[in-house]
Amino acid sequence: MSEVLIADDSEFMRNLLREILEEDHRIVGEVENGVEAVEVYKEQRPDLVMMDIVMPIRDGIEATDEIKNGDPEATVIMCTSVGQEEKMKEAVKAGADGYITKPFQKPSVIEAIEDAVGA
Amino acid sequence: MKVYDSGKGTMGSPEQERVKVGIAEYEVTTSDATLTTSGLGSCLGIALYDAEAGVAGLVHVMLPSAADVEDPNTAKYADTGIETLLLEMERSGAERGRVRAKVAGGSDMLDFSENGSGIGVRNMQQVESTLDDLGVPLVSDDVGGDHGRSLRLDGASGDLTVKSANKGSKTI
Amino acid sequence: MEVDIQSLETFNQLASEGAQQATAMLAQMTGIQAEVEVTKITLMDRADVGEELAGQAFVGIGFDLEGALVGDTTLVFEEACTGPIVEALPGGAAGEEMVESSVKEIGNIMMSGFIDGWADFLRTTIEHSPPRYVEATGADVFPAANDPNEQVFVFKSHIQWPGEDLSFYIYMLPAYDRLTELMADSGTGDDAVPVDKLSVFNEMTKQGTATAADNVTQMTGIETDAEVTQISFAPIEDVPKQVDNKSYVGTAVEFSGTPSGYLMILFDETSAMNVAEALMPMEPDGEGFTDMHESAIEEMGNIMTSGFIDGWANVLETSVDHTPPRVVHDMGRAIIDPLAAQVGQQQEHAFIIESRMQTADLEFGCEIHALPDDAELRQALGDLDVTRKDQTEPDVETIFE
Repeated sequence: MSEVLIADDSEFMRNLLREILEEDHRIVGEVENGVEAVEVYKEQRPDLVMMDIVMPIRDGIEATDEIKNGDPEATVIMCTSVGQEEKMKEAVKAGADGYITKPFQKPSVIEAIEDAVGA
Repeated sequence: MKVYDSGKGTMGSPEQERVKVGIAEYEVTTSDATLTTSGLGSCLGIALYDAEAGVAGLVHVMLPSAADVEDPNTAKYADTGIETLLLEMERSGAERGRVRAKVAGGSDMLDFSENGSGIGVRNMQQVESTLDDLGVPLVSDDVGGDHGRSLRLDGASGDLTVKSANKGSKTI
Repeated sequence: MEVDIQSLETFNQLASEGAQQATAMLAQMTGIQAEVEVTKITLMDRADVGEELAGQAFVGIGFDLEGALVGDTTLVFEEACTGPIVEALPGGAAGEEMVESSVKEIGNIMMSGFIDGWADFLRTTIEHSPPRYVEATGADVFPAANDPNEQVFVFKSHIQWPGEDLSFYIYMLPAYDRLTELMADSGTGDDAVPVDKLSVFNEMTKQGTATAADNVTQMTGIETDAEVTQISFAPIEDVPKQVDNKSYVGTAVEFSGTPSGYLMILFDETSAMNVAEALMPMEPDGEGFTDMHESAIEEMGNIMTSGFIDGWANVLETSVDHTPPRVVHDMGRAIIDPLAAQVGQQQEHAFIIESRMQTADLEFGCEIHALPDDAELRQALGDLDVTRKDQTEPDVETIFE
């Protein structure tokens, strides 16, 4: 059972992800912006971060970059509505290990997580 | 811009006349008509009336000041909008010294400006300073907040009824 | 073909003054005091012209134009207008058989009022054919399209007759090539917009709307179709009139990049309720529109916003960021007016990108309105490589091996 941090400004989306993930994973935190994501990551060191891109205060790509800089072993999956090629390239550059576009189906979330953490 | 006087009622309507004021428009009534304007977000509705002369007017402005722009539409801006409305009312018999003002609108909903104050706030600041310059007292207002408003000015009494989508209505 | 902003403003002004002149003619003949509500230029598919008239009965008075402007113009009256108009004529209340000829003649005179200003401006003559009288439902009031898929500029004026709570419209559909030549010739060359690329941009937006509609279908299971996508040009103070003043629920964002601007996704209240509940995994706590509904709409707006603008970014090979969505629940015009005012600080006219979607199964309607900064939209059009116009989807293979 891996530990997961969910970073998404939408309560609705956090609930949805929690429902999908809590069967097989332990949710160690739910945060609403990139600053909190970095903070909680440093405290908890979860196995996986599900990271939205468009968030207030600090976006998910910047947060991923900082998490990866501090801990190159971190696993971050972008989970976002953004489907722009340039953004995807930025996410890859920041070190994202996977990219799920919303709206998503449950199997694609599970598959992305398996591919990323090898669980 | 036309003036609605008692001689020009619309098509035999027995009820009190209602005149719609669009965005960046104004209307004046000398016949106790009801002037209405709807869907004010950061826009402001400024009602002026001279109870003794029976002249009332309403202008729906969008931006604070016409300074530095070449735009012929005076009613789009708070400063020139108020001046134009007041002049038109004076032409219809109002006396500046008796004119009173009521203002509503200027919400700060959907203000994406990151620094400085939003348009709703700046609209209201401009209204206050223009009214002050013209010597017209502001007797009541219902401004700001994060909701839209629709207005109904009773030309006979100067009562301004402010209706919100979710917050009911009140008369100021 | 390059058309500058100034000539779009000029032509919009000609249509607006023409509509006022036509309305003044009507007033002279009948005493009817009607008012021109809004005039705008819209670039859209010929097949979608008059879509907003669907289901209603109209009387149309149609004219062919020849000379400097080629094309057709139709005065469209709500059917209920014709009785009062005829009655208001001197000697009014004529028999049934007189209605057609009276309305035709009024139309004829209004048409002269509408077109004379154009001819004067263009310093030439524009001929119009004798009036055609058509009784029809919805868009059938217009002459049949030669090519429904062609994109055309439509000059549309909405005129209201407050005394009777009735509306009529003037639609002018000039031949695209002739019109764009005229607009190009009348410009000064500053702030030029490549109009042909505007059509391409429209197609890209159509793709974005289809993506947003797919998103709705995937998330809610409600089969949703993109209906209409168009781009209009109007004075900034007319922008809020794009939206009805009934109560809407939706989201607004500011987007930044090339182009930047504001984007709204609006649902009428019933649709918002339906969509939110289709999205919720469980029954909502409490009555009416709850916080859970709001959160569902917020996320829906977020995903649809991305679906809508990602296509632009991918074709333009750039990125367009947007702020987190802000949920709004208010009068339609109060929602759009702060955005129009923010754009209006820099410009007196605005492009309005507008899409609508619908579904057959359930009461559901959604409108998308985007207000781009016009300098940046021009920049985006300048950058647009038309050979990439179908590349609205990211090339995932090359990014993630």
